[in-house]
Amino acid sequence: MTLLRLPSATAPTRPAAGTRARRGRADRKPRLLIAVTALFFALLYLPIAVVALFSFNSKKSLTVFGGFSLRWYRAFVHDDVIISSLGTSLRISLVAMAGSVVLGVALALGLVRCRTRLGSLAGLIMLVPLITPEIVTGVASMLLFKGLGVDLSTGTVMLAEITFSISYVTVVLRSRVAALNPEVEEAAMDLGATRWQAVRLVTLPALLPAVLASAVLIFALVFDDFVLAYFTTGVDPQPLSVRIYSAIRFGVQPTINAVGTLMLAGSIGLIALALFIPRLFGRRGGLDVLSGE
Amino acid sequence: MALLRHSSRTRRRDATDTRMWTWFMLPGTLWMTGFLIASLVLVAVLAVGTTDDLGNPRFGFDLSGVRALADPAYTEVLVRSLGYALLTCAICLLIAYPVAYTIALHGGRYKHALIAAIVVPFFANYLVRMYGWSVVLSDDGPVLRALRAVGLADGNTKILNTGVGVVAGLVYGFVVFMIIPLYAALERLDVSLIEAGRDLYGGPVRTFFYVTLPATRQGAAAGLVLVFLPAMGDFVSAQLMGGPDQIMIGNLIQDKFFQGQNWPLGSALTMLLMLVLLIGMFGYLRRTRKDEAEARR
Repeated sequence: MTLLRLPSATAPTRPAAGTRARRGRADRKPRLLIAVTALFFALLYLPIAVVALFSFNSKKSLTVFGGFSLRWYRAFVHDDVIISSLGTSLRISLVAMAGSVVLGVALALGLVRCRTRLGSLAGLIMLVPLITPEIVTGVASMLLFKGLGVDLSTGTVMLAEITFSISYVTVVLRSRVAALNPEVEEAAMDLGATRWQAVRLVTLPALLPAVLASAVLIFALVFDDFVLAYFTTGVDPQPLSVRIYSAIRFGVQPTINAVGTLMLAGSIGLIALALFIPRLFGRRGGLDVLSGE
Repeated sequence: MALLRHSSRTRRRDATDTRMWTWFMLPGTLWMTGFLIASLVLVAVLAVGTTDDLGNPRFGFDLSGVRALADPAYTEVLVRSLGYALLTCAICLLIAYPVAYTIALHGGRYKHALIAAIVVPFFANYLVRMYGWSVVLSDDGPVLRALRAVGLADGNTKILNTGVGVVAGLVYGFVVFMIIPLYAALERLDVSLIEAGRDLYGGPVRTFFYVTLPATRQGAAAGLVLVFLPAMGDFVSAQLMGGPDQIMIGNLIQDKFFQGQNWPLGSALTMLLMLVLLIGMFGYLRRTRKDEAEARR
């Protein structure tokens, strides 16, 4: 995955004037544009809908729906290989989440506050994974582990995933840190707090919503990641996405529809959660006081 | 005097601060340098290395991997990858522009919800989405059935296992990277500019080409880069949607590392891919610099 900028939640609202039907011809409803957009949405969701629908198929076919059945979900639950892959993926995601959040939050704080040459170099290094295609980073990580004589395993996937998740945490948090008002920290210090106490008791709590949101985001991204895991995994129970890849390559297996549907539901739920977390904190917790807006 | 003392204290505090923030920055930066920058350097080093009889990498200076790139078979794959990636960029732009435009200018209060509805499935597992897409485009899938029903396709028309299938896969995989920056640019666009265009008797088409498009050029450029990067490196689309004669440079790299065990050649191919992408990035940066310089004037 490369650089993705989420739309700013606080996009300035334009004045509504002029959008009213003042000049009949110019402001007619753009039927063609709406039709194109509707077609786009249909094609965007069709593949997901097909996977979800056929996961409930009583037949093995991917084109003929024979009736509703939980057959493939039962097959999934009894498939020990896939279940152990699920466990591997969960472990990788949890470790990558914890590691990259700790390193990424510290990095974001340091990058925003430390205006030295070292700081700008660190800022550049942080951007590298975002502009490098995943296959390159995958190959590179694999070569590094092989070059160091380390056998590929679940552990190497964890290390690689942490490396590439740090950037995402830092990108998400950087703007948040920049929006904090440093004077509040200074006020805490004038009241006798040490620098570290000010960070721990004032800054970090203010960042908590963004930290939680990025943690959820990383969990979802790492759980779904395929390319990096594919290049760095060993013979342990392989991550779920690698398992799915080999299953898809060697012909259609309806169990994959069930697993895929559960994964889709899981990721969509997590992303919705990540989008919802900042709102959950909303106006509580003194966020607005600190944001200096 | 008091002022002086205060400022010296502030300066001392600033110095300790800088030290502390450096400590904050250090673990993450060292981690990324050790695991990422070092590994990228290793790829470059191995591209001029060799392997022993067992397939283990040997470092040294041997240009056989790099020289092998001259093989016309590889040139063909590189040209095909470039063609598919550029075609993907063009199609993504053609799809994303009307969609982003409709949502940004006519989305009303559903704007944010519609954009979220585009972004959220993108976060779902890439393989599962691609696999679903390949089912949709299969010979008796809904898309071909619909095309046959309206007479745009006959029984022999295929999408899967053709270049069309590969590009369709790439477009489906990465179109969101085009929509987001375009949407952001169109969001910022001052609608009164469009109105001014209309007031000056520009038709919708002329207004679009003389006002809207130039104003959102930077969003489009960002989108093109964001689509080009992953499209060029992808190997899943060509594997699921294309036949054996549709492989891209990503498939070659994958093959050299997993089946062929020719790591120097794989590394050389990886460096070649990076080189192509760096040229693309360089062009983009020059373009945006020029744009910014013009905007400042």
